Amino acid sequence: MMLAALFAFSAGLLISLSRQINGRLSLSTSPLVASFWNHVVGLALLTAIGLVIGGIFPPGAADSPWWAYFGGPLGVIFVASGSWLIVRIGATNTALLVIGGQMVTGIVLDLLAGQKPVLWASALGVLMIISGVWISQKRS
Amino acid sequence: MEIPAAPRRRALPFLFAFASGGILTLMAHTNGTLGHYGGPFFASWMAHGAGTVAAILLLAVLFRRGEGQALKGRAPLWAYLGGFSGALTVIFTAKAVNSPLALSGTLALGLAGQVVFSLAADKWGLFGLAKRRLSLKDAASLGLIGLGSVLIILFGRAGL
Repeated sequence: MMLAALFAFSAGLLISLSRQINGRLSLSTSPLVASFWNHVVGLALLTAIGLVIGGIFPPGAADSPWWAYFGGPLGVIFVASGSWLIVRIGATNTALLVIGGQMVTGIVLDLLAGQKPVLWASALGVLMIISGVWISQKRS
Repeated sequence: MEIPAAPRRRALPFLFAFASGGILTLMAHTNGTLGHYGGPFFASWMAHGAGTVAAILLLAVLFRRGEGQALKGRAPLWAYLGGFSGALTVIFTAKAVNSPLALSGTLALGLAGQVVFSLAADKWGLFGLAKRRLSLKDAASLGLIGLGSVLIILFGRAGL
């Protein structure tokens, strides 16, 4: 359990670390070029790990629906937008606003999929997030 | 003609950041679907592969139009290695999700990790980006977003 918690916490650290590093690369290139390198280097590492451990193509993988492959192109836009954002509003603002957006749209997706969220918690959470976003973009 | 006191140049990126969280929700869905069929490792590998192809196509189109100007000189070599960190994230997350923490615990601790790192990154200007002091307004906004998110992660979403 402690080890799992360490993995989860470190995953968060790594997300912000890669955004910071890609942001620096984008200053010398462009957000899209930084996103390209992020994907190439990540692909190279994952391929190397996969060749050693195996299991890149487990049975059943080919049955994935066609639309699931669009996560890759979406990721290119997401990583590029992160580099664009972090040099403009900083690491903390970027991290929290992206998370807030993910939470609110996640609830919308749940509703569209017919899954009922726990009303009090999600309504209060969405309200707090929207207020936070509203405050963040106000002129100081 | 009236001259505006201060341009609202800060507003747009904040709203844009919020919107980009929506892309992440879609990605969680598509990559989760790939993971359902082929496991988390296949999902990440395929997302990186499809992303590489998409990035090459996008750059081929945009470079013809002369995309962007660099703001700084040559990047240090380590700046090309952000993808290592991104690829490891997938493996770490998969390990945490398949533990008693489940998805909600993993997300909540991941949020904490992001906050800790990004506060340090802004304070000290880590990895060649600018130092930033959080304003009181930033802190209020971030506190609300953070607490609201934790509330949703731990108690709100049906599927979690």
